[in-house]
Amino acid sequence: MKNRIFGIETEYGLLIKADQSNVSPSGVARHIIQHLFGQKKHGVIDWHYRGHDEPPGNGGFLLNAGRMYVDMGHLEYASPECHSLWDLLSVDRAGDLLLQDCLDELELSEKVSIIKNNIDHETDATFGCHENYLVSREFPFNYQGLGLLMPFLVTRQVFTGAGRIGMARTADGWIGLDEIEGGRGDLTRGAAEEPVIYQISQRPDYIVNDFFEWVQHNRAIVNTRDEPLADPERFRRLHLLMGDSNMAEETTLLKMGTTGLVLQLIEDGHAPTGLDFDDPVQTLRGISRDQTLEWMVTLSTGKQLSALDIQEEFWEAASKHYTGQDEETDWVLAHWESVVKDLRKGYQSVVGRVDWASKLWLLENFREAEKLEWDDPWLKSLDLEYHNVDLKAGLYHAMAEEGDAPRFTTIDLVNLSKHTPPRNTRAFGRSEVIKHVVKEGWADFLEQTAKHQDPRRPPYVINWSVLQLQGSPPFVMADPFRTYVQESRDYCSDGSAHPTPEALLKKQDI
Amino acid sequence: MKHAYADIQSVGSFDRKERPVDPISKPSGPGEESGPKRPETDSPSRDNLMKRMRKVDPKQAEKYRQRTGE
Repeated sequence: MKNRIFGIETEYGLLIKADQSNVSPSGVARHIIQHLFGQKKHGVIDWHYRGHDEPPGNGGFLLNAGRMYVDMGHLEYASPECHSLWDLLSVDRAGDLLLQDCLDELELSEKVSIIKNNIDHETDATFGCHENYLVSREFPFNYQGLGLLMPFLVTRQVFTGAGRIGMARTADGWIGLDEIEGGRGDLTRGAAEEPVIYQISQRPDYIVNDFFEWVQHNRAIVNTRDEPLADPERFRRLHLLMGDSNMAEETTLLKMGTTGLVLQLIEDGHAPTGLDFDDPVQTLRGISRDQTLEWMVTLSTGKQLSALDIQEEFWEAASKHYTGQDEETDWVLAHWESVVKDLRKGYQSVVGRVDWASKLWLLENFREAEKLEWDDPWLKSLDLEYHNVDLKAGLYHAMAEEGDAPRFTTIDLVNLSKHTPPRNTRAFGRSEVIKHVVKEGWADFLEQTAKHQDPRRPPYVINWSVLQLQGSPPFVMADPFRTYVQESRDYCSDGSAHPTPEALLKKQDI
Repeated sequence: MKHAYADIQSVGSFDRKERPVDPISKPSGPGEESGPKRPETDSPSRDNLMKRMRKVDPKQAEKYRQRTGE
């Protein structure tokens, strides 16, 4: 899509199915990382400290130029940089399959499931699916510019939400006295809040601010951290953490594509105005929890309209200015219009295309067939199973297999994307260097000589915008739109500059 | 926009059940009822879907103990 680089970071949940108190999700996560890099050589593990919470061995870059690691106890996959939405879809699904492959190969799939969702119904824990959009440094990163984005972000959940049963307790972590006395257990719990049987999005319960720079506390609709991971004089990265992890392929494409187009509307001065909310955070939550599915909101002007009306205004502006811009833009515009129009007919019209609608459809029918009440724990278990990435088990994948959910990529393409980068971004250059490091056998060397390694002088350091092989100068990739194909190959082929594992072995007298 | 690997043909048994959609296809015109359609059935009564749902451990949500992330 024009002038845009996209990326998705997914934190996965790990469900330990067997009753084994000695198995922890974080332990399984580390086992998987070791298998992925150590045994399967799907990339190169980091041998340096990336931060106080990322010691050597915590994760690494993959052959597809994305990154897999453990973050706060969760497996996390950061996709490589994509210029095409379809590349993004394939590499996003490739992350799911890489992890499921590990479970299968470790013979753990009977005991463990990888869940691509964002909440734990029981503990109220949340974990994210972060979106990244590269914008120019000139993007109006202020209240005026980002304020134009707010009405779109608050209302897009009508087609991007993943849905969930119930609600989290008060998002700020305060526990009401009545709950301490009365205990928990009611899925509609929440002091002085309207009961919620089912809501369309998972993250609004945890979003407490409109703009903020942190990602672990005080989560905001728009994260304002200035970390472009590219030339800071030319680029900035919009980092969103209020969205849900999506299973539906059409939703993944639409979520990223529509947001990219609205950013373009703001860049070009074409964004709709006069759609502000007095309290975007409460409006976000209110839409998600609206049991009527009418999603009526009140603007700062006092005018009332629905979330679908607001989406339609953004679609009209984008359609007016960007129709014919490129094929992906035209696809996004057509499907954006279609999904908003169909949602007006009822949620059943978007089953298979929109996650919250698909899940609700499954749960409603199962509940009816089995004569279950909404607070039956089986339904929460099915809610989770919708997000199981295992093609043989997950309920979303069952719908796709039955033809109830359209696919926009193929399993062959997804498999290829496990180890192949997008070809038109700097991910390609990074992958060339990763392939070189794998081929030279650094992984085995480091494994065998781990106790001799000095994490302050690792043989290689790989990062998003810069990498370095020991003995060579840093290789900077400041422009995510460039492939660096020739430079990266030249860098790797300069054998005299950096040592081979054998030479280092000799030098260190190991 | 067309992916470099778009011509790869699916060969596995599971692949044949997938219905890849040409990413460049689009509804034939604004205002027409031409987007992807809802499933033809009114309920997920197909044996496979219900079978898969019934196989889910009713208590598995209680075993899903996650830490808060980002």
